[in-house]
Amino acid sequence: MDWVNWLVSTVSRALAFGVPLLWGTLGEICAERAGVVNLGVEGMMILGAFTAFAVAQSTGQPGLGLLCAALVGGGAALFHAFLTVTLRANQYVSGLALSMFGLGLAGLLGRGWEGKPLAATLPTLTLPGLARIPVLGPMLFQDQTVLTYAGVLLAVLLWLLLFRTRWGVVIRSVGESPATADALGIRVSLVRYLCVGFGGLLAGVGGGYLSVAYRPAWTEGMSAGMGWIVIALTIFAAWDPLQAIWGAFFFGALYHLSYRLQAYLAPELLKLMPYLFAVVVLAASGFGGARWRRRAPGALGLPYVRGER
Amino acid sequence: MKRIWAVVLAVVALGAVALGATRIKAGFIYVGPIGDYGWTHAHDVGRRIVDEKYDWLETVYVESVPEGEVETYIDLLIRQGCNVIFTTSFGFMDGTLAAAQRYPNVIFAHCSGFKRWANMATYMADFYQVYYLNGLMAGALTKTGKIGYVAAFPIPEVKRHISAFAIGAREVNPRAEVHVRWIYEWYNPAAAKEATEALIAEGCDVFAFTEDSPTVVQVAAEKGLPSFGHYSPMYDFAPDHVVSGQLVHWEKIYEDFLVKVHKGIYTTKNLAHVDYWWLLAQGAVEVGAKPGMVINPKYEAFLKNYVINHPVFGRISVYDLVFIRLNQMADPGITFDPFQGPIYDRKGRLVVPAGMWMSYDALITMEWAAAGIVGPWPGEP
Repeated sequence: MDWVNWLVSTVSRALAFGVPLLWGTLGEICAERAGVVNLGVEGMMILGAFTAFAVAQSTGQPGLGLLCAALVGGGAALFHAFLTVTLRANQYVSGLALSMFGLGLAGLLGRGWEGKPLAATLPTLTLPGLARIPVLGPMLFQDQTVLTYAGVLLAVLLWLLLFRTRWGVVIRSVGESPATADALGIRVSLVRYLCVGFGGLLAGVGGGYLSVAYRPAWTEGMSAGMGWIVIALTIFAAWDPLQAIWGAFFFGALYHLSYRLQAYLAPELLKLMPYLFAVVVLAASGFGGARWRRRAPGALGLPYVRGER
Repeated sequence: MKRIWAVVLAVVALGAVALGATRIKAGFIYVGPIGDYGWTHAHDVGRRIVDEKYDWLETVYVESVPEGEVETYIDLLIRQGCNVIFTTSFGFMDGTLAAAQRYPNVIFAHCSGFKRWANMATYMADFYQVYYLNGLMAGALTKTGKIGYVAAFPIPEVKRHISAFAIGAREVNPRAEVHVRWIYEWYNPAAAKEATEALIAEGCDVFAFTEDSPTVVQVAAEKGLPSFGHYSPMYDFAPDHVVSGQLVHWEKIYEDFLVKVHKGIYTTKNLAHVDYWWLLAQGAVEVGAKPGMVINPKYEAFLKNYVINHPVFGRISVYDLVFIRLNQMADPGITFDPFQGPIYDRKGRLVVPAGMWMSYDALITMEWAAAGIVGPWPGEP
């Protein structure tokens, strides 16, 4: 078996499959760094997928579709923020509800849009010059859409924002100890709204990628559980945008290999591989314990009420 | 005069009662969303066609019903006044049977199963003949000799499809291989996409599949490779690359069944032996890229020029071979079956003796893999 072919196709597919995971994970990191768990990623992604498809189909502009997907994802996230920050509802329940609501609403709105191929898809790029580098070219600089590179860039920017700017300190302090942040005069609710909303934008784009680039068509439930993988990846990445990059692409590689290796290993076993990996990571983060847990935002999942505790 | 009116009224009233009695409200229980553009979508298209055709028929449906909860939804539909219930997933079988026993006055029909009762029939439109026809074309179209096949679950139905397809491919191209990847899901576009990409990376250049989305067609077309649609018309997804495919017409079965219920031929007492196993000859399935288009015109010339030495027909183009075989199977007096002996499985064992056809029971429990199939085959005897 030609190992160059293996390497090239595995990395190339890992990137293509990892893109929606990366965008979703960056969004979730953003929300969770401010202390809000949003289990509604699946719902925001599917709403993004439908919106992007419907807009791209009607206007012929996949870019506009992605923009609208971002807005819809952000809007859905703000709804979650309203319930959990303003009304202080349980974040887990509200997030789950958002996922179910998103799946249902997208399914309902999507009636009549299925079975229509999308003419205006997000083009794949062949980067001039770079694509001609042997091995690396076809691996990294061909057959990818702009969202692959934008996602990596965004991860770096988000890391800089979180760990190298004053804004990052503000966001992290809201996630670590909202009472302290509040005492310092930081508007906890505003920060949380912004972070959750921005996270929703990214999840919306991740979903939009699915329907205008990855597999350009609309079918009900097409996000097929990616939103839940995002939740696991967020923990795996230890809420660090840079780690999210290789986490998402590593998961993409495992997912692709689970089909590539079928000729050699039992398919049932391979099918488990990516999910087994997620479970192992979650278990490791539970056991491995203190170090990992210390990296989780201190006030994650807790509503903030001024004056309590 | 008054008496005449009374008689007229009585007759009208009786007529209304009689009419009311033969009005049918049919409830459909689907396992997936009607927007899947696959299995459930096809059933719903069938339901709508029949619903619009008959005044005496009213239909309702519930979608995305988990397999364990079918009885709950049967209760619900019966409370809404349904007197005929269709359940459209293999996994609904036991729940439907239990409900049939609890509601002896309601007629049930279960799709793709094998358990029947006095008031419960079974029905299925099967594709194996169509897959065989597609296999003939795929065998001619492959340049690398490797045909990719993305399959949902390793169950007899899917294995039957793949084997029929491989038998067709090998009839035209004795060296053709059918490389199989399982995705263990009926519906997961991402899984289907990565499975197709994996097959492309391994050198496959023609594609067929059994799962519920147009993904394989789209991915193959991105790489400029031909493929065969499945279930719903997929021509529009890649007009230059969809060669042919399998199409279903559930409405043929739904119409036949409901009309017979309406006429009183089917009752709650006589369904224990009613089993529809409808194929090409009954019009329940069709070969084509879309209805009426057996072979995409873009591939006609190629298939007409691809001439082989056939053991039965001598020198013949694949194009002609497809239509001869189609006519042999679509004719009510079927004169050919893809699983016509002698057939050897890929381990070299004789599975269908010379001159024999497979029985219905053998077909629905089939586990072996035809020669030419490459890849894992869980449960292979």
